[in-house]
Amino acid sequence: MAAASDFNPFQAPPKGDNTFAQITDNVTRIMEAPKPPRAWYIAMGIALSMLTMFLGSITWAAWNGIGVWGNMMPVAWAFPIVNFVFWIGIGHAGTLISAVLFLFRQNWRTAINRFAEAMTIFAVMCAGVFPGVHIGRPWLPYYMMPIPNQMGMWPQYRSPLEWDIFAVSTYATVSILFWYMGMIPDFATFRDRSTSTVKRLAYGIVAMGWRGSSRQWHRYERAYLILAALATPLVLSVHSVVSFDFATAQLPGWHATIFPPYFVAGAIFGGFAMVVTLAVPARQFFGLKRIITIRHLELMNKVMIATGLLVGYAYGMEFFISWYGGSSYEGFTFVNRLFGPYSWAYWTMISCNVIFPQLFWFKNIRTNVWATLLIGMIVNVGMWFERFVIICTSLTRDFLPSSWGYYVPTKFDFMTLGGSFGLFFTLFLLFCRYLPMVAMSEVKAFSPAGGHARPHLHHGHDDAAHAHH
Amino acid sequence: MATEKGKQDAGKQPTKSAEKADGGGSSGGSSGSSGGSGGGGQGPDYTADNIRLGAAGQSMFSMAAGVGALGLAAAVGLGSMAGDGFRRFSLSYVTAFMWVLTLGLGALFWVILQNLVNAHWSIVLRRVGELIAAQAPLLAVLSLPIVVPIFMGNSSIYIWSNHEAIQHNHLLEHKAAYLNPTAFLIRFVVYFGFWTLLSRFYLNSSLAQDSSKDPKVIMGKMRASAGPAMIGFALTMTFCAIDLLMSLDPLWFSTIFGVYYLASCVLGNNSFVALVAMWLNKRGILSKSVTTEHFHDLGKMMFAFTIFWAYVGFSQFMLIWYANIPEETGWFKERFEGGWFGGWGMLSATLLFGHFVIPFFGLVSRHIKRRRPTLAFWAVWQLVMIYLDMYWLVMPTIGEHTPGPPFALVDLACAVGVLGVFIAGIALRARNLNLMPTNDPRLPKSLAFENI
Amino acid sequence: MSADHKPQAEPTAAELHGILAEYDTPDQLVSAAKQVRDAGFEKWDTYSPFPVHGIDAAMGIKMTILPWLTLGAGLTGLATAITMQWWMNAYDYPWLISGKPIWSIPANVPIMFELTVLFSAITTLVGMLMLNGLPHPSHPLDLVKRFGRVTDDKFFLLIQAADAKFDEKDTRDLIDATHPVAVESVLEDRVTPDTFPPGLIYGLIVVTCGALVPVALAVKARHSKSDKPRIHLIQDMDAQPKYKAQRENPIFADGRADREALPGTVAVGHLNEDDHFYRGRAQGGWARTFPSQVDLSEETMARGKARFGIYCTPCHGQSGLGDGMVHKRADALAQGGWIQPTNMTQEYVRLQPVGELFNTISNGVRNMPAYAAQIPPEDRWAIIMYVRALQRSQAGSLNDVPESERGSLK
Repeated sequence: MAAASDFNPFQAPPKGDNTFAQITDNVTRIMEAPKPPRAWYIAMGIALSMLTMFLGSITWAAWNGIGVWGNMMPVAWAFPIVNFVFWIGIGHAGTLISAVLFLFRQNWRTAINRFAEAMTIFAVMCAGVFPGVHIGRPWLPYYMMPIPNQMGMWPQYRSPLEWDIFAVSTYATVSILFWYMGMIPDFATFRDRSTSTVKRLAYGIVAMGWRGSSRQWHRYERAYLILAALATPLVLSVHSVVSFDFATAQLPGWHATIFPPYFVAGAIFGGFAMVVTLAVPARQFFGLKRIITIRHLELMNKVMIATGLLVGYAYGMEFFISWYGGSSYEGFTFVNRLFGPYSWAYWTMISCNVIFPQLFWFKNIRTNVWATLLIGMIVNVGMWFERFVIICTSLTRDFLPSSWGYYVPTKFDFMTLGGSFGLFFTLFLLFCRYLPMVAMSEVKAFSPAGGHARPHLHHGHDDAAHAHH
Repeated sequence: MATEKGKQDAGKQPTKSAEKADGGGSSGGSSGSSGGSGGGGQGPDYTADNIRLGAAGQSMFSMAAGVGALGLAAAVGLGSMAGDGFRRFSLSYVTAFMWVLTLGLGALFWVILQNLVNAHWSIVLRRVGELIAAQAPLLAVLSLPIVVPIFMGNSSIYIWSNHEAIQHNHLLEHKAAYLNPTAFLIRFVVYFGFWTLLSRFYLNSSLAQDSSKDPKVIMGKMRASAGPAMIGFALTMTFCAIDLLMSLDPLWFSTIFGVYYLASCVLGNNSFVALVAMWLNKRGILSKSVTTEHFHDLGKMMFAFTIFWAYVGFSQFMLIWYANIPEETGWFKERFEGGWFGGWGMLSATLLFGHFVIPFFGLVSRHIKRRRPTLAFWAVWQLVMIYLDMYWLVMPTIGEHTPGPPFALVDLACAVGVLGVFIAGIALRARNLNLMPTNDPRLPKSLAFENI
Repeated sequence: MSADHKPQAEPTAAELHGILAEYDTPDQLVSAAKQVRDAGFEKWDTYSPFPVHGIDAAMGIKMTILPWLTLGAGLTGLATAITMQWWMNAYDYPWLISGKPIWSIPANVPIMFELTVLFSAITTLVGMLMLNGLPHPSHPLDLVKRFGRVTDDKFFLLIQAADAKFDEKDTRDLIDATHPVAVESVLEDRVTPDTFPPGLIYGLIVVTCGALVPVALAVKARHSKSDKPRIHLIQDMDAQPKYKAQRENPIFADGRADREALPGTVAVGHLNEDDHFYRGRAQGGWARTFPSQVDLSEETMARGKARFGIYCTPCHGQSGLGDGMVHKRADALAQGGWIQPTNMTQEYVRLQPVGELFNTISNGVRNMPAYAAQIPPEDRWAIIMYVRALQRSQAGSLNDVPESERGSLK
């Protein structure tokens, strides 16, 4: 290990196999560096100003009432709910990478799972703000919880919105627990490499005195597996419950039985797009190119094609059944989507979600860093528009023509949407600076020198079957 | 239940022929195994393993073909005795056919998927999957009793095939652009043609790889085709399920129906492949290559897709229940006649507890997944449950005067018949072939992998 | 890694915590562990920067009970969810929502699932920490400088002196036989306390109690009555600068905000002097002609047809025969007391003057409600124009049919 003054902490170390020390170095030097790279400051400046805009627009809406937004009959549920679904969806990729890819023994996940999980937590926080503020009286959120109150009333559990409360809270809790647990060994590494007493104390407290005892690793690994196995159906359930917000209604364009898996696939799709959008600059500016490699980006792009096609399948099925079912309302809804006043949103959605990602069939595109970044951002836009199309277009023209209307968002709607990115990026940049960005212990375990490139948990009576060398 | 016993009879060898087959199998195997050469490496040495079906296949073929033919003949006989224009028989036959189709399509899906994600653990079993999937043409032939009446426009169970019946129903007239005999014929050819070509491509490529000098080239072809193949599979499977199952009640619809059928395909395939692998191992075939780890993984997939089936089924049910729109709820109302303990309602309750709750607790433990007898039990259980699921989907079409599942011998005969012929087809195709892709570059990892 | 400890003379057996061996690769650690396990030691452990493949078996670590804790917690979560939803929505305060059953089990499933997962996950993490004895603030190994690389790239094995089979020389020989990179004696740490500082514990208790104070105040406030008005954080919504119905208005002697219209006044634009147009009256009786404001054109007829379709057809049917959907449904329900809506093509209605028809629409008649509030006068006249057309359609003669069409009727 070279002296701190000898190297730029944000450039990748020299070539060679990733030995354990190099992995530790590569990630820890970000924390050890006295100052983050200049790009971090620039990004933080932008993020903080967007965050300010966010807080300002929310406060304005809380003070003056929901009327400052464009919500109006018939589109009483507009940007706030679109943004909520958008952000929750983005969070799902992190859990998928952490939990589902772990269960499938996809060891390449170790390079990206830490910051994907961080992305999940921050995305869920952004998402959670929207239901909180759009209910009109944000100082009464406890009505939604089963807390005894003076009216003797309880939450209405038949409502999908109530299911949302439980689903999103559970998801936030489990994600934080899983993320934190994963970081304990890395906090220990940071603690042992800290350059100042304050840092050592801080990391030491959250590391809980972890020293890498194998007996502790055994229980830790078991807990990791259990949490991964719990998080997998959980992530499916959360976006399914979010989809129930719409699918339980009778509104044409909302009421389709395929919504749960459709939304889950869309969430993973949009989430991976956000992961690559973050991964490309992060690896560039924090010198992580040898840990987060082109291969990782390529694999994520492949997941994007797959989930994008699942979303396309759902679009197709909705469209087919809207004709097949014979309901004139359903049929009209789809004609309206394609050719009505919001057709521009629909075609944006189709081109961003269905057409552009097909470029990833070509190997030279999916291994190209810029193309990855660009298509990732395109998909994010497309997924936002998908929720907009589903929610707003269906509401603008439903059963009775006398109820039809047109929805126009106000500048506060846009400020709240844009500002939410400010919250997300602020938290994410803080994470990059102070927390272990890469799961060092996992990357080491699955590196060539770490032993076998597969999980090692042994059950007592299987030992006889295993040949050790 | 009657059908469970039928499945056990058709699916498992009686012990005495097993003993005969063991002797035949191992002697046939030692000459056969030398056919596999390259790719051996770090894992257990499979070259000493028996990878040919041998005489065990012969006796399985005879038994399955015999039982199958008998079953079908009995079914036809019972059907004609009912004197209802083969209506009861047709419903029974559709149930059995769609049940066995989940196994064939499930295998095809599995083969495409393993190639798509470059899975290593399953290489050992891939040939088995390819052989099952290759029964697509046989399935096309087996489907004739129900599709020919549609082509002819006089199916007793698909009312939309009948031109006169459509006339007085404006919804059916609206759907006639899709639900008509000619369009169906074209789609039928597309479905089974696509599945035949695809399964043949995978099986033949895989077989060619066994003796190829550069197995990576073939591996690359199989992988590269998997993406487009999966798209085609998704569409053909969805519309086949819509055509043959959902259109039994042509006024009902559900966008998730294709996914619902897929869940049964995957669950059925994992259960069936596990049983086939166990049957082979009992006869000394692939017994060194297929390990507890593979069964554990198959068991994990069975567990996962038990949950997935319940998830899809619940989504479909709950959304329709919640919105309470009569044109959608009627389908479920039929299936809940009689409450929890009577009539169709009892079959629904059986599916909820038998297809989900009980197998969930049964398959959650790793001990159960890692022991063959217990895994086999749950595999058979779930295959029976899938049959009951198909029954639940199909049989209420029989009419309002039947308040509950009219289980009868014709159902057993159809199930046994179709499954028997299907198994016979697999045994026939597997004759003289390596039951494992011996030359796949990923084989060593598949032989040696360990589970979490 | 903690405070300096006083330099000692040769470590005596009483002060020795254990012997620590260091290795470079995981494989070395695993083979060393096997040897130590086979030698029968019990109080020993290995340390690594990541979980080493094969170490559990090499050390003879038994499967943890953690999965059982998770299972128990999951079932508790499930039971809690079922009980909570049933008790709150179906028992304590039963709510009928959109006709769903009082205890709507399908609707309760999502929360049942979520609480199962939540309870399981929290128990898994907390259980893991507790079973691992974490947080573990200090350990004698912290005094060994080399041990700092355990979270980086080195592997360690420690045999405690407290183990029954421990012998300074023999154990040392055993360790040497495993070819470690370095061996160290680890001394007991007499200086650093191995429990949390009491100040920290007290501080945490104080902070937690302090945090509960606002919650307690809120709970108390929610359950007590007060005769003071509520505190309004956001003024606009609660105190809007307008007078609402049923409120006070101090300007008026009677203090009411609800006022009647002043007698003898009419709102601007609502004089409606024209009896013919607004009331269908002319020359002391029902008007027999359409008022001059009404343009008897195709457009008016089309408008009338459209408005008739919206307002009149539910009861009177598309042809005005009195066979609308409402009638058909009421008829089918056969609950008694239903009178069929008037067939307006009958002779006595045909003979009614347009003004009387206008009055019927505006003010209702018998069971028919007044439609004046929904239909502006122009539209009412348009509807009457269409009604006349309907009436004529049922009572026409051959002469009413254009010459060119007569042939098709024969």
